[in-house]
Amino acid sequence: MKTINYIYSLLSIVVIMAMGCEKDNFDAPTSMLTGRVVHQGQPLGLRSGGVQLELWQHGYDLFSKIPIHVDQDGSFSARLFDGNYKLVLLRGNGPWADNTDSLDVNLKGTASVDVPVDPYFIITNQSFQRNGNEITGTVTIQQVNTSRSLERVAIYLGQTLIVDQNNSAARAEVVSGAIADFNQPIELTVSIPASLADKGYLFARIGVKATGVAEYLYSQPQQITL
Amino acid sequence: MKRIYQLAILSILPLAFLSCAKDWLERTPKNIILEEQVWNDPKQILGLLANFYDRLPTDMGLNDPDHTSIDANQERQAQWRRMADYDDAMWSGFSNEEGRNNIVNYPFDRWRVWNYSLVRDINLALENIEKYGVSLSGEQKAQFSAELRFLRAYNYFELVKRMGGVPLITTQLIYDYSGDPSYMQAPRAKEAEVYDFIADEVDAIKDDLGNTGSNTRANKYTALALKSRAMLYAGSLAKYNNEMGGPITTPGGEVGIPASRADEYFEKSLAASAEIITSGGYALYQNNPDLGENFYEAVVRKTGNDEVIFAWDFLSSKDKRHGFAYDNIPRSIREDNLSSSNITPSLNLVERYEYLDGSNGELKTRTADNSDFIYYDQVTDIFANKDARLYGTVIYPGASFKGLTVEMQAGVMVWNAASNSYQTVEGADLGSTWGGESYPHGDGKLLTATGGPHRSIMEVSNTGFYLRKYVDSGPGTSTRGIRSDVWWVWFRLGEVYLNAAEAAFELNRDADAAQYLSTLRERAGFGANSVTASTITVERIRNERRVELAFEDHRVWDLKRWRIAHDVWNGSSSNPDAVVYALYPYRVVRPGDAARDGKYVFVKMAAPRFRAPRFFQMGNYYSSIDQGVINNNPKIVRNPFH
Repeated sequence: MKTINYIYSLLSIVVIMAMGCEKDNFDAPTSMLTGRVVHQGQPLGLRSGGVQLELWQHGYDLFSKIPIHVDQDGSFSARLFDGNYKLVLLRGNGPWADNTDSLDVNLKGTASVDVPVDPYFIITNQSFQRNGNEITGTVTIQQVNTSRSLERVAIYLGQTLIVDQNNSAARAEVVSGAIADFNQPIELTVSIPASLADKGYLFARIGVKATGVAEYLYSQPQQITL
Repeated sequence: MKRIYQLAILSILPLAFLSCAKDWLERTPKNIILEEQVWNDPKQILGLLANFYDRLPTDMGLNDPDHTSIDANQERQAQWRRMADYDDAMWSGFSNEEGRNNIVNYPFDRWRVWNYSLVRDINLALENIEKYGVSLSGEQKAQFSAELRFLRAYNYFELVKRMGGVPLITTQLIYDYSGDPSYMQAPRAKEAEVYDFIADEVDAIKDDLGNTGSNTRANKYTALALKSRAMLYAGSLAKYNNEMGGPITTPGGEVGIPASRADEYFEKSLAASAEIITSGGYALYQNNPDLGENFYEAVVRKTGNDEVIFAWDFLSSKDKRHGFAYDNIPRSIREDNLSSSNITPSLNLVERYEYLDGSNGELKTRTADNSDFIYYDQVTDIFANKDARLYGTVIYPGASFKGLTVEMQAGVMVWNAASNSYQTVEGADLGSTWGGESYPHGDGKLLTATGGPHRSIMEVSNTGFYLRKYVDSGPGTSTRGIRSDVWWVWFRLGEVYLNAAEAAFELNRDADAAQYLSTLRERAGFGANSVTASTITVERIRNERRVELAFEDHRVWDLKRWRIAHDVWNGSSSNPDAVVYALYPYRVVRPGDAARDGKYVFVKMAAPRFRAPRFFQMGNYYSSIDQGVINNNPKIVRNPFH
């Protein structure tokens, strides 16, 4: 008798537990928005976790932005509910000119958007050479939006693929005053730090910065075998 | 018979109701205080004022409210733990708050305050004191109103330095239930207009304030100190914002002050500072012949202190206390069994204190050719001949506090003749000896001191320094039973001297600026005229502010208004300013070498518990405005970068 009571009470607890978590849970969002930040169809290189886009949805009580962080290769993704969204560039946030026009995003299942921006500078050509204990990067930059001037060009070395202003083992720069004509290829030389020298490989990247904008625009990182 | 009875009762009944006269229901409630009562009783008005004083926002302070959330009114209150969030110190306490050593970037809402709840309460008080205060004398009314307006001006300063221009609301807003709230939606004022408002308010009220000699209620010089600081901020914003590659502005001027106004603001700041300095009511604290102790007392001592202009007072006898000493006393001399050592100053700060001969304050740990350590007889010798304010701000290895010596030793350096190098041995526990079973070759003397520093143990210094400023030296004050009632200094004369020096320097009056700086430096042990018109530089003034006003909630605001925060804290691990450094003392074990054995050497390193370099982004110069605020008032424009 006692055991039966025991079993019954246990059973009822199990039933309650199994039923308990039904109504009060919403399904997680399942739709996927992916995209890239592009200039003339080419994705732009950015600082990892540095640049943010914002997504707004009208028509609901809660009206606040959904921040979307852009990866260092210019791509982004967000898992959302289906619906109509507006994608906006955050003012002054990326290495491109402000544009207050929003981009309509109609999300059903999946959607992929290219966000066209108007960068101040882009990197059109880059190459790296190793000379002994030094890496020399040669880069050609091109001004696209002329409203801001060139501030500096920098080369970064890192141990992993993620290399930028905040994640680098070594860095060297040339300020705009030292560049006679930035339409010509610019050479940057940085010595390989001891922490990377014995690893056998490293990643190099070049960034260009316009005055008055916090973020650099980067080339895609390139692996160099030592 | 029965009928008569009934009639009699019936006739008595109305009597019972009628008899108690008219005022039966007209009684003074015992649980509600009426407006007429409050605004005619100076004591109750004072009680209300105390509440308003207590709600002034600050980034640091000595309080410890719920530090994980913002309250619903966005009145972000003082939070001493934030002292560990910049470059003057780091967190060495309980590992729950390890995040303070790993702030990947400062969130855009970090310094957000939108405390219109306080502004409204003050506006309401100002209107009600006029409306209901019939039995107050004209003088009392004027004084209370002036005090309320001071608090409002101070609060607007706290708002403008965080948010940029904010709506200037000076009357209470009452909804008329018409369905259209747009008349209550005020747009943001220009940044310059808010600073002008503060200056105008101070000028209007300063002679009505009374409270002469008080340093916990506002008087004329408190108001002038506010003006001195606010105008200096406005001037440097006007100047340095426009010197940036891309000035931070909004089209409507809510952020951004025209460069042409810089001199005007600096003039106003200098005039206010000069008036305080020449008033004679205040003097730099110089009561203790021991200059280091003197500087400590200048901030914390409440009696006979003519330096403090305005403080947020605490009092143990009235149970208004805080646990700052409990949380920040050095580990080795703590009186409670928990906490201690949370805020530990950085080597970065310590090295900013110059040597008394005026040379750079960098500590000398290695010989000039970097071939060997420099060997010190005593652990304190490396700090000899430093600016006395170092002793007054920081407890360094071997310094004393509460009459006790705070011993610090990270481990021993054992000479290995075979490899011709030192082997570093650090103890797993505090207060361990180099000997016994664990170290059979040891000499049985001290390995790691009870005060650390230690690389990983919680609640012991991770940097090799402890905090002295604001830590109570009274007996038992670091216990949870007694706690501390040291006050928080809003304004003191030392800052006014620095404001004057900076404003004078910006106005190209170098000799005046040098004079102000020299006066302040003399108190710290420097000779007369240690700075002259030919040696004064903007870096020197900025460094002086950093060392004099460390842990008094100035550093982050100063870096912001000079527009250098994004360069100093650029998030790069190769930038020594963005990383918190530590200094670890070791005892040398090198038998047979009398010149070195038993001496002390020091190692500089990035603090072991420190993770992410400080990273201040352009979007941090002005904090983001809550989306809920913008939704309620579409006239509010967003700040740049967010």
